[in-house]
Amino acid sequence: MIRFEGVLKAYGSLEVVKKLDLHVLEGEFLVLIGPSGCGKTTTLKMINRLIEPTSGKILVNGQNIMEMNPVTLRRKIGYVIQQIGLFPNMTIMDNVDLVPRLLGWDREKRINRVYELLELVGMDPEVYANRYPNELSGGQQQRIGVLRALAAGPSIILMDEPFGALDPITRENLQDELKNLQSKLNKTIVFVTHDMDEAMKLADRIAIMKDGEIIQLGSPESILRNPSDDFVLEFIGKHRVNSCELEKVESIMKTNPVTTDPDRKGTEMLALMKRKGVNTVLVVKNDKQLIGVVTIEKLDNKQNLTYKAEYLADTGLPVITAGSPAREAFDLLVSQKLEYLPVVDQNRGLLGLVTRTSMVNALASVVWGEEELS
Amino acid sequence: MSPLLDLLLLRWPELLTATWQHIYISLGSVALGALLAVPLGIWLSTREHISRMVLGVVGTIQTIPSLAFFGFVLPILGIGILPAMSVLFLYSLLPILRNTYTGIREVDPALIEAGRGMGMNSRQLLFMVKLPVALPVIMAGIRISTVYIISWTTIAALIGAGGLGDLIWGGMNVYDIWLIVAGTIPAALLALLAGFTLGRLEKTVTPRGLKAGYTSGEGEFNI
Ligand SMILES: Nc1ncnc2c1ncn2[C@@H]1O[C@H](COP(=O)(O)OP(=O)(O)O)[C@@H](O)[C@H]1O
Ligand SMILES: [Mg+2]
Repeated sequence: MIRFEGVLKAYGSLEVVKKLDLHVLEGEFLVLIGPSGCGKTTTLKMINRLIEPTSGKILVNGQNIMEMNPVTLRRKIGYVIQQIGLFPNMTIMDNVDLVPRLLGWDREKRINRVYELLELVGMDPEVYANRYPNELSGGQQQRIGVLRALAAGPSIILMDEPFGALDPITRENLQDELKNLQSKLNKTIVFVTHDMDEAMKLADRIAIMKDGEIIQLGSPESILRNPSDDFVLEFIGKHRVNSCELEKVESIMKTNPVTTDPDRKGTEMLALMKRKGVNTVLVVKNDKQLIGVVTIEKLDNKQNLTYKAEYLADTGLPVITAGSPAREAFDLLVSQKLEYLPVVDQNRGLLGLVTRTSMVNALASVVWGEEELS
Repeated sequence: MSPLLDLLLLRWPELLTATWQHIYISLGSVALGALLAVPLGIWLSTREHISRMVLGVVGTIQTIPSLAFFGFVLPILGIGILPAMSVLFLYSLLPILRNTYTGIREVDPALIEAGRGMGMNSRQLLFMVKLPVALPVIMAGIRISTVYIISWTTIAALIGAGGLGDLIWGGMNVYDIWLIVAGTIPAALLALLAGFTLGRLEKTVTPRGLKAGYTSGEGEFNI
């Protein structure tokens, strides 16, 4: 979709982008990330010819952009900047339909398009279409900034730190909305940021840049798993540890949960709980296969004390399969307000138990580091 | 008050003619000045090198004392309305030129980048973004120019342009204080009226989206 071939940009003797080769795939969300001054903006702006490369070639849809009229090229590419840059002399309507107007769409089509777009981000057109940018909050303004880029239906969108100036909560919301939009619209997006959280959240692929070069390119997962050098490692630092996505649930589970076989009576289980100091036992068949769980509440009843574990066990409890990310276990614990979550293999063989305590320990190790826990 | 009243009763046709002359000499000069200075300011706004030179030259014209300037053009253009308006025209240029130039130069670069990035050509960028955003500042330049050209037109009477200056100079020649007052008050009122009207117009042309917190450009040029 967009192909850089040996693209170099120099100011005098200073090479700010060095011999860049990059292929942005169709429908891909590519994030360019790196420290300030590493050449992200320069790389981005070369795509719509706001900056012209010193040498090398950039192809968009197989066509060399240096052979295209820059104005025509830009009208086919959406562009969103950090400063938002809505035109203060125009209403929201006029801002959003700017490119369609430049392209000479007829009025009715333009109005419909603006209404459709405003509704897409949940802004009532009747309320907002005739407002001016300074009557909107920063978050709303950048929503309009994004819509303005989408208006003429370009297949490529360039975004230069679009959420960088927004407060954290608004930023998260807009990231969610963008992700949502992208899943519906399937644009090819090149997105510049220096925020790793943002990159992780949005990217299909991340290109990490340093001093005008891409030093690693890959999916967020692959970069976290195999950082190519110390620079990348440092750059993703926090995420490497924080990446509960990467840790498997086995690495944080307790491996010796209190179990019982299905034949035990309620009284025996009560004694077992007392001895082990727990309020729950897992019922397993043949020393292995998980049947269910018996809690202390179940035994607070004379009659139940005489029944076998098999009949008392609550069999509907949620479980998690080994190999799942630890993050998934946490999400289940939190969202279903569970105290514990058994970890099982493919055949429902019990392997261990994730409790709220193991969650706390895992999260604490992110904050304070592994060493201090052990 | 009665000497002034007597004077008005006796010479009102002369006063009316003088006021009318005053209006068209001053407004005519400023209108011609704006006709040159606005396009020139726009043209200069994208040419940093030349602009420094041109603004320098026009600024120098401004520093020539007006009395001396009228004296210089006398041998070349003679006396009458034409030489007077030529001088006033030159004087009117600087505030308008400078405000147009800075007004456009100070348009938020983010707007220019957004406009270019979305595929506006330079003409569209000028008419859809730069001019509307700079318009209040340009209008302020025209207002400032108008107000002081109205007052300087009184000096133009020295080289036979006519206008309210005739009454003032006449009054000075015959030591008639009331004649001087009869020329000065309408000239001052004209300046006030022009300032007020153009100030209102400035507000009207300011896009609604620019109204809050936008300075009128008053500080751009001080005389
Ligand atoms: N017009 C220019 N002239 C000289 N150097 C420039 C110019 N524009 C950018 N640079 C330099 O190029 C480098 C990369 O800039 P940029 O692409 O904006 O970085 P980033 O967006 O990654 O922060 C910086 O060191 C910057 O100072
Ligand atoms: Mg940048």
